[in-house]
Amino acid sequence: MKETNYLLNSGQERGITLLMMQGEQTGAQPVDGIAGSETAQYARIGDAKPGEGKILRGAGILLSAADMFWIPQAALIAYVLSEMLKRFLDDAKGSVAGFAATDALWCILGICLIAFVRAGLQIFALNRARSTARQIQGNARADLLEAATACSPAAPFPSSGAFAAHLTDQVDHLGPYYRNFLPQVMRLKLVPVAIVLVTATVSWLAALILLICGPLIPVFMALIGMRAKAASAHQQDELTRLSGTLLDRIRGLETLTVFGAIGRTEDDIRQAGDDFRAGTMRVLKIAFLSSTVLELFAALGIAFVAVYVGFSLLGDISAGTWAGPLSYWQGLFVLLLAPEFFAPLRGYAAAYHDRAAGLAAKEKLVDIAQQISGSSVGSLQVSVSSGSERKLPENAPEIGFYKVSLSLGKTPVLESLSFEVASGEILLLHGPSGSGKTTILDTLLGFHTPQSGRIELDGQRLIPGLAEQLRGNVIWLNQAPRLFHGSLKSNLLKGVSPGERVLEEDLWEALRLAGADDLVRRLPHGLATQLGEDGFGLSVGEMRRIALARAALRKDAVLLLADEPTAGLDQETASDVIAGLTALCSGRTSLIATHDPAVLSMPGRVFDMTKAQFVQSREVAE
Amino acid sequence: MRSIWKLVARQYRHNRIAFVLGIAIALVPAISGVLLLGVSGWFITAAGIAGVTGIFLNIFAPSAIIRALAILRTAGRYGERMLTHDATFRFLTDLRNSLFSATAAKGATGQRSGIMLNRLTLDIAALDKVYLRLVVPLVLFLSVVLILLLVWLKMPVAIFACGTIFLLIWFSLAVYAVRSSDRKTARRADSALDAMRLRATDLAAGRRDLFVYGGLEPVAASILVADNRLEAAEEIEDKQAIRLTVYSTLTGQLFLAAMLLAAVITVDGAVLTPAIGVGLVLVVMALPEIFSQILPGLVGLRRVALASGRLNGSLERAHLGDDMNSGKGTRPKASHDSIPVLSFENVSFRYPGAEQDVLERLSFDISQGEVVAIAGRSGSGKSTVASLTARLMKPDSGGIFLKSADIRIVPENILRQKITVLSQRPYLFNHTVAANLRIAKPDATDTELWVALAQSALATRISNGEKGLESVLGEGGLGLSGGEQRRLALARAFLTSPDLFVLDEMTEGLDEDTASDVLERFLSFKGPAAALMIAHKRLELESADRILRLRHLKTDSVAK
Repeated sequence: MKETNYLLNSGQERGITLLMMQGEQTGAQPVDGIAGSETAQYARIGDAKPGEGKILRGAGILLSAADMFWIPQAALIAYVLSEMLKRFLDDAKGSVAGFAATDALWCILGICLIAFVRAGLQIFALNRARSTARQIQGNARADLLEAATACSPAAPFPSSGAFAAHLTDQVDHLGPYYRNFLPQVMRLKLVPVAIVLVTATVSWLAALILLICGPLIPVFMALIGMRAKAASAHQQDELTRLSGTLLDRIRGLETLTVFGAIGRTEDDIRQAGDDFRAGTMRVLKIAFLSSTVLELFAALGIAFVAVYVGFSLLGDISAGTWAGPLSYWQGLFVLLLAPEFFAPLRGYAAAYHDRAAGLAAKEKLVDIAQQISGSSVGSLQVSVSSGSERKLPENAPEIGFYKVSLSLGKTPVLESLSFEVASGEILLLHGPSGSGKTTILDTLLGFHTPQSGRIELDGQRLIPGLAEQLRGNVIWLNQAPRLFHGSLKSNLLKGVSPGERVLEEDLWEALRLAGADDLVRRLPHGLATQLGEDGFGLSVGEMRRIALARAALRKDAVLLLADEPTAGLDQETASDVIAGLTALCSGRTSLIATHDPAVLSMPGRVFDMTKAQFVQSREVAE
Repeated sequence: MRSIWKLVARQYRHNRIAFVLGIAIALVPAISGVLLLGVSGWFITAAGIAGVTGIFLNIFAPSAIIRALAILRTAGRYGERMLTHDATFRFLTDLRNSLFSATAAKGATGQRSGIMLNRLTLDIAALDKVYLRLVVPLVLFLSVVLILLLVWLKMPVAIFACGTIFLLIWFSLAVYAVRSSDRKTARRADSALDAMRLRATDLAAGRRDLFVYGGLEPVAASILVADNRLEAAEEIEDKQAIRLTVYSTLTGQLFLAAMLLAAVITVDGAVLTPAIGVGLVLVVMALPEIFSQILPGLVGLRRVALASGRLNGSLERAHLGDDMNSGKGTRPKASHDSIPVLSFENVSFRYPGAEQDVLERLSFDISQGEVVAIAGRSGSGKSTVASLTARLMKPDSGGIFLKSADIRIVPENILRQKITVLSQRPYLFNHTVAANLRIAKPDATDTELWVALAQSALATRISNGEKGLESVLGEGGLGLSGGEQRRLALARAFLTSPDLFVLDEMTEGLDEDTASDVLERFLSFKGPAAALMIAHKRLELESADRILRLRHLKTDSVAK
């Protein structure tokens, strides 16, 4: 019965759903106030703001008004035709014609004038609804992006494909829902009532026929509609699955080719495609069935009215009117109104599919936004301004970890870890993967907040505000550095703060430091070479060296953090990278995570992660 | 526009019966709808006349016809929709399969996965409009026009003239819809959508790097900029669609008024009875619904044309490259110790757009059982040699021979049997461990899988997992460390028994102990097969029978 509820008051239902979602949120996650209100904020993703809802309802009212202008038009048409008939019958009797062609002309002119008014109203209302719906789509995109930018990069995040699909396809499903469905609801509420009332003034029996055929429709629709949303949601899952399967096979196409497994994969794809098709047909079947039920009632309703009017005019039926027998004019008028009674119902049914898709998409958007913002690793609270009084040190800082403990999810990663790094020193974090090397670097960058203990930079406690400043001016080399769509030059310039002037020589200098100048010269368009998805076109080693050059552009940085800088490099390239790193380390406090013996031979102290202690006798002076 | 015709022809060939039947059945509800109103108008007018004059009127036949038409219209519409949609989606599913095969045949290299995915999902989805929104409504339009003209021809001239004029107006609206739909706008919308997708992928996958370098906000802002561009393009298209739909409705109403006038003027007792006149007027009321259907399809025509153009292009290009997979061609000779397993003869290769060859007249032989390592700096063409051997790319000149057979003409299935490639970035599918292994050997038993896993020192790791071979690997093989993913790919290779292994940095990402362990296992496992090893670790170079050093020829001269 949820569907009929919707018919009565669409806004109310959305309000209730929203309240329920908020209730679940606060119940499930007793987090602090800020995060709580943030998740509640994302529970509204894809909703219309009160003002926008008003505009959409207003558009519905204008469309209804345009529909209702049919009533005078129908009256004029019926009048003209009945006068024509009267003249014909008078002619037959040989009496003088009482109806002049000029009268007909005036009536017809009136019909045309009303037609123009209706067209104007429709264009205005449809465009209003369209632009408002588009605005809601734009807002949903902005909200989802805001959620994505506000969470820690170390927090779990949906796969890039899923995120892109939500941002584009799912948001697109909102458009038809707001643009078509909500105005249709308004039409459904107003137009049939007006038509029935006008019909009733002429013939209560014709109005009764409409009333019987009309309200039965929502009942059937409700029965069918309950399944429509479930099927629609299921279908969107099916589409996600199909896209996932396709993307997975496309990415692994080379592997499939070299094992001669393309043929077998085609069967998989066929299977996924057939499942998708079957799902689509299931959804459509429901949609078609509901509109068929509706059309059946609409057609029968019109047919009954026509038959009733016909028999009345013949004189076989005399009931149904308020006074005297039904005249030809009245009969034709009632018949002309009948299709317009059902038109909003048909429009509603046609838009019903949009509603199912829109609501299912909205749920998915809320899910993904909450998944992003509600992860336990937490939001960064970047905007907390208390760090502004703390200044980033201007010279290579001392770094101290004091009894730092940190768990990711339920796994403890750092347990009461303490160490100090002197100003300008190189610390080599040594240990197998999973020993917490990356976590130490991430914590310094503010991606994680330790559960206990403190981290100090030149004696100042590392708080989010300070970490934010640090991120803006650190030389950092990620374990799997990622390059982005765009030219190589624009990738390098990401290392420079916006507005800073950089000369072409600076870029080449950074590339030289990273041992990447030769490889850039070899590229077809040098610095202007376009990189594709994930640095497409470059090998792993080449990408790492470009990333190092990007880092090297931060000449004022006082801190250097590098995570496995030589992974995936051949010896000669690795030694180039190490030479570049060594040059960059001078004058900076450096932390380098590695298990490569070549990196471990860099001048610096080695910290053994497994034993959480410094390796003695490895101290090498400058 | 030609690409759309090609697509229509393709769908027609795909299932002729469904194609024609769909259109035929679509005519039933359309014509019943028109007749329903016409007959109703005629009936009540005739009844009105009969009521006044007392002339006998057979009332049962018309009222039965009205009810029958009501039911026909409803049932016909349901049948038509089910039939046309089912036929279209079957066609599109098959089209997606052929497109995937075509892309696969063209070769995996040089493709952006995101764009390819868009082609396989969005483009295909856009094409459902061709039959449903263009072909069926257009044929309906023409059929109804033809029937109307035939009927009006028997009526007074005023009726015929009025009808013809308004049909012409509708027709010019349709032409205007096609003419005004703008290719540039369609392109802008497509490219904005692509940009949004690519940037969103960057934002999600590169969050760590972006956080430190440049921040996430500029990327988020650039996505919104793309959204604004998309909005601007959509606004043009949507507004046009709205305008045309309303114009069509307006035309319908003016038509109604004009027909009313024509009927009033021409009704007399002889040629046009009042009952038929009223019927004709009411028929006009039913027309906008049929004629308005084509307009939205025509407005979106350009975007559909772009999608179908891309699709036809991909399918045709793949068709040209089909010869290689046709199964004809030379087979490599059976083992003769004297014949080299692999030989490169004067092979040159240059990447598209590059200034110089990466390989220049490279020649070498590998004899049976021999392990040859290829060494050189990154960028010297080591991986290119591997890709050429695996026929993932074709040399610009020179020849590559597998047991004296030119690999250009070795049938695909034979080639894949004879050469096993372990690529630099092996891909693990979002599927079970077993399914990932069976890519190499579909009929392998569980025991064989465990043996292969043991060979690559992974058996304990997998059996410790809760579901063993049935454990599912996440996107890109999450859950396994980089080294473990490598070893799983190695286990995959161990399930094959080729003449030649091509190993592209097999021990990359493994610590030294595991690397030497894996290498040892491989060498003892490979049996009589030869191996071409792309290597840079001393360990690997030492275990090779022979080392081939690639030097980039002109690096020095370019450096200055």
